[in-house]
Amino acid sequence: MKRMLKNIGFGLLLVPALAILFFGPRQKAGVPKGRVVVTYWEKWTGPEEQDMKVIVNDFNATVGRKKHIFVQFVSMADIDKKTLIATAAGVPPDIAGLWDNDIAQFASLGALTPLGQLAREHGITRKTYKKVYWTACHYHGRLYALVSTPADIALFYNKLIFKRDAGKLRAAGLNPNQAPQTIHQLDAYARVLTKFGPHGQLLRAGFLPTEPGWYFPEVFFWFGGHIWNAKTGKFTLTSPQDVAAYRWIASYSKWLGPEAINSFTSAQGNFESSQNPFMLRTLAMEQQGPWMANYIYTYSKHFSTLHWPYAKALTMPLAQRRKNYGWAAAPFPSAVPGMKDVSYCGFDAFVIPRGARHIKQAFTFIAYVQRQRVMERLCSMMSKNSPLRKVSKSFIEHNPNPYIDVFEKLANSPNARGLPKIPIMPQVIDELNTEAQAVALLERTPTRALEKAQHRLQREYDNYERVQRLRRAEK
Amino acid sequence: MIQWRNEIRQTAKGLAFLSPWLIGFAVFMALPIGLSLYLSFCDYPLLQPPVFVGLRNYHAMLHDSVFWESLRNTGYYALLTLPAGMIIAIGAALLLNSRVRGISIYRAIIFLPSLVPLVASSMVWLWLFNTRLGLINTILRYLGIAHPPGWLTTTQWAMPSLAIMSFWGLGNTIVIYLAGLQDVPKELYEAAEIDGATPARQLWHVTLPGISPVIFFNLIMAIIGVVQNFTVPYVMTQGGPDRVTYLFTMYLYDNAFSFLHMGYASAMAWVELLIVLILTGIAFWSSRHWVHYQGR
Repeated sequence: MKRMLKNIGFGLLLVPALAILFFGPRQKAGVPKGRVVVTYWEKWTGPEEQDMKVIVNDFNATVGRKKHIFVQFVSMADIDKKTLIATAAGVPPDIAGLWDNDIAQFASLGALTPLGQLAREHGITRKTYKKVYWTACHYHGRLYALVSTPADIALFYNKLIFKRDAGKLRAAGLNPNQAPQTIHQLDAYARVLTKFGPHGQLLRAGFLPTEPGWYFPEVFFWFGGHIWNAKTGKFTLTSPQDVAAYRWIASYSKWLGPEAINSFTSAQGNFESSQNPFMLRTLAMEQQGPWMANYIYTYSKHFSTLHWPYAKALTMPLAQRRKNYGWAAAPFPSAVPGMKDVSYCGFDAFVIPRGARHIKQAFTFIAYVQRQRVMERLCSMMSKNSPLRKVSKSFIEHNPNPYIDVFEKLANSPNARGLPKIPIMPQVIDELNTEAQAVALLERTPTRALEKAQHRLQREYDNYERVQRLRRAEK
Repeated sequence: MIQWRNEIRQTAKGLAFLSPWLIGFAVFMALPIGLSLYLSFCDYPLLQPPVFVGLRNYHAMLHDSVFWESLRNTGYYALLTLPAGMIIAIGAALLLNSRVRGISIYRAIIFLPSLVPLVASSMVWLWLFNTRLGLINTILRYLGIAHPPGWLTTTQWAMPSLAIMSFWGLGNTIVIYLAGLQDVPKELYEAAEIDGATPARQLWHVTLPGISPVIFFNLIMAIIGVVQNFTVPYVMTQGGPDRVTYLFTMYLYDNAFSFLHMGYASAMAWVELLIVLILTGIAFWSSRHWVHYQGR
């Protein structure tokens, strides 16, 4: 009896185990026979994920079919951390979709496969790309990444607010029909367009340097400043230009008060929602990337359909189509006289982690996305500009972002800037964000905050260099 | 000889049955603990082999301002939450120990919040603490406070806000206190009453000594919980504003997984263990003077 019960128990455990083994989920489910599976991890969720899936499906149905490759798209959060851990464990994806600021850290650790040779084999050279992106894809002279989509920063402004307050703007000597041309003008526009409630609360902000709060490490660019000097390996955060940038952040807090700004910001929702202050029209001007056009359309439709239905307007000539929008985009103004079209040109990066199993097949997909037709399709879907040098007229004319030419101009500008390639980039970003926050709260003076960041980051970097020397000596 | 063989067989069988746990412990606990001790003396950026650097990681902590800041923040958080949390939990348990109609419903209500996942309750509290639209400030404005605080956005209020939020999850502790209260012999209360003790004196001389082992247990758990606190500040403030809510474990996590200073993070973990050991050691040492076990 005991033995029988034992056997039954064993059988009850064995049956589901075998069922899972033979009929359970398969990693290669849905993969056509005879294809090499390329695993592609990407950070995007939501609309961007769907856009990239369209490209992946196209590849699988065309080039992939011909070359026996199948790209398996996996969307995930915290992709940088997960890719690093998977790479350390020896089971990385074949392609990872990182951010531009990850490249230096990953490459310095030897976590990435150099792509130079593969790129040359596929005819991708410096001539293929706009200079700013091509440079930013390199670390110590080697190509480690290619662009999936770019992310330049410009000034988005609300044309309707400008129109409504045209009289006040004119009275202040400002042109209501154009965006501010200098930081000084930007501040003047902001002063005119800012509105207070009866109890002194901020009802509408003309502009806030702390919105959306993603570009503190890049704020120096508008002032002609730099984060560090690659030749000397020294941070340059205490330069007069960098201090001026932080003083600019502090000037808004001194004017409006940090409490009023915090109270105002807390009443707004997430970027990706209809409670976004720019879409709510409680923020007249904002630093943003080209993708904003899609988000405005998704969460605030009428802002992009003033006269005609959206689809109809897309077929119209660009000049006419722009009348359909209550917003516009322009180069972010600079504080340096004569320095025009300054922009931070970031991007989403394709990399092949070290230890990836299907490097050639992975690069076949990456090279496919770099084709002008494919890249323009992907960037159009996300309303972004193209990282490629060659851009078709139709891409500009029919991009859902009616100001995509502004972003193209910025990316081609001699003042287009990428983040410096510092191997301790996560610390740099963390430190600069913290110090900018302290300055915005008036907890520290700009000079003190930057001295603090300079001291801490330089020590971090020197320590990194010392350990690298130790490693080299051990080898 | 046969008996010896039988013993070996029995031991082998016992070990075989224990082997899943033993292997699990060795692979997932003992080995990582040992490795982390070794790595704390190395520079290890995860993707390159560890390089032995001796005591440099521990030495670096002495000069790392953020390390001290995070430690100070954790200490401040502990000061705000430990005593107040204990008083609130004991107070709530005393109320829930009273004999009133529907007491089981009140007990369930008090316990319910501790069942809500921390991330979910953090999101709710983010809205409650919202400066302009939050329920708390709306009530304060209604009460005539024209400029209520920016709870999570100002350096003065961010940490107290996290402390207030931590009291939301005291349900578990309250239930343990409640069990302790019900274990205090009724004869002691009867005797105290006969001796003319007021309710306050009964609380001081009977109840608190009676539940002192439970207070001690909860104190130890709270010390460990406070030092390990991570989720709530990570979700609600990400350590800000200006790092005032940046706790020790958050800095440890950032060192390990953002900055890839695995060696430094391991050293921090050992320092954390040391802190917990010292604090619990002090609690154990002091317990001789204030914890009273029945039958001793």
